Amino acid sequence: MCANCGFPSAPGHWTEAGAATPADRLRARFRRAERLRAILLPYGLTVHDDGMVPGMTVSTLSGHHEMVADLAELWSVVERMSGRTLDPLDPRFTRPETAQ
Amino acid sequence: MESSTDGRIRLTILGGFLGSGKTTWLRHQLHRGLLRDAAVIVNEAAERPVDDVLLAQAAKLSVLAGGCACCSGRDELIRLLRAFCDERLGAGTRLASTRQIVLETSGLADPGPIVDALRSDPVLIHHIVVSEIVVTVDALHGLAQMKREPLSRRQIETADRLIVTKMDEAGHPETQRLLATLAQINPGAIVSGAIMGNPASLPDFTGTAPEPLGDFSPEADAPIIAMRLDLWDSVDWTVFSLWLSALLHARGEDVMRVKGVIRTPAGRLLLQTVRRVVQQPEILPDGDDEAEREDNSVAFIGRGFAAEDLRRSLRLFTGEA
Repeated sequence: MCANCGFPSAPGHWTEAGAATPADRLRARFRRAERLRAILLPYGLTVHDDGMVPGMTVSTLSGHHEMVADLAELWSVVERMSGRTLDPLDPRFTRPETAQ
Repeated sequence: MESSTDGRIRLTILGGFLGSGKTTWLRHQLHRGLLRDAAVIVNEAAERPVDDVLLAQAAKLSVLAGGCACCSGRDELIRLLRAFCDERLGAGTRLASTRQIVLETSGLADPGPIVDALRSDPVLIHHIVVSEIVVTVDALHGLAQMKREPLSRRQIETADRLIVTKMDEAGHPETQRLLATLAQINPGAIVSGAIMGNPASLPDFTGTAPEPLGDFSPEADAPIIAMRLDLWDSVDWTVFSLWLSALLHARGEDVMRVKGVIRTPAGRLLLQTVRRVVQQPEILPDGDDEAEREDNSVAFIGRGFAAEDLRRSLRLFTGEA
């Protein structure tokens, strides 16, 4: 349990299974945040992960922010904050050259 | 049958429509000693348990009567499995050597919600891993059930292994048509035949047209297709899982099954999903060259998308496009 935010130390989310050592885990978190920032930018959102406090912070460009524990929660929050579902099969991702 | 590498018990879900031959098949496997060490749980939607009499050869048999494990009996199933895990951990119990559980569902159960319930239970997730979904299909009535019952089709769609039962009771052309139809709605499943639980060879159905099944919903029109996505070097687990979690969030109804072994710094991870439900990945031991050749090749089964769309989308998520 993190004393700052109260997130329980539940078994890791399935997306976090690929890292065995603390160093790998930290590397994976930073890589995840870096990719998320690039993917969420067109949706007017950004992500911050300091590597210490469990979870991530999702913010709108105007400063509203929410903490999320894992990716499952993140996509729901992204949907709510941006008003759109981020669908990886949307032409924005499958046909980036033709999408608006 | 081996236990999972991380010590969790393997759970096989045996499903199939009412009267499709689940118990007959299971009884024969027990008789042949194939599941000798397995604990068997039988769920019956009916109040009166019947099947337990037939399955007396199991190492341990529990009956879950009076509610279907995927809906009204779900809490009872969780309670039973938790009790089982507790008992197994106790010193010197008969169950200490049990490495496998077979859950025979009622004919009205959809395996999806059962996997979901096991996955979301904070205790069971550490003790039990769903290893296979086996679904029996009646050679005689299977086609009619698939046409009429959305549930029957859902059961078949989620199966890893389909067993066509009562092969001796159906005519040759009917069996061929059934096989062609099964290949269309679940192209990824391994299909075998059985007569009274004994393996039976399947007829060749090349050139046989599948039975038109009609629609239950507007989306059901699109065919379910199985495809493979070979991951390239720059796709690591972090980006792949990021992408897949977004895909399942947005398209969980269409992406019915994802299965594959992915290499990560933590080892070879076995990834399995049933619709939106993702099983906690298992770390597999290093295999021989043959087994590892399939690594980083992920099977997708679903409707409404093509392999090329998946590839392009994943490329954009990795930041290469």
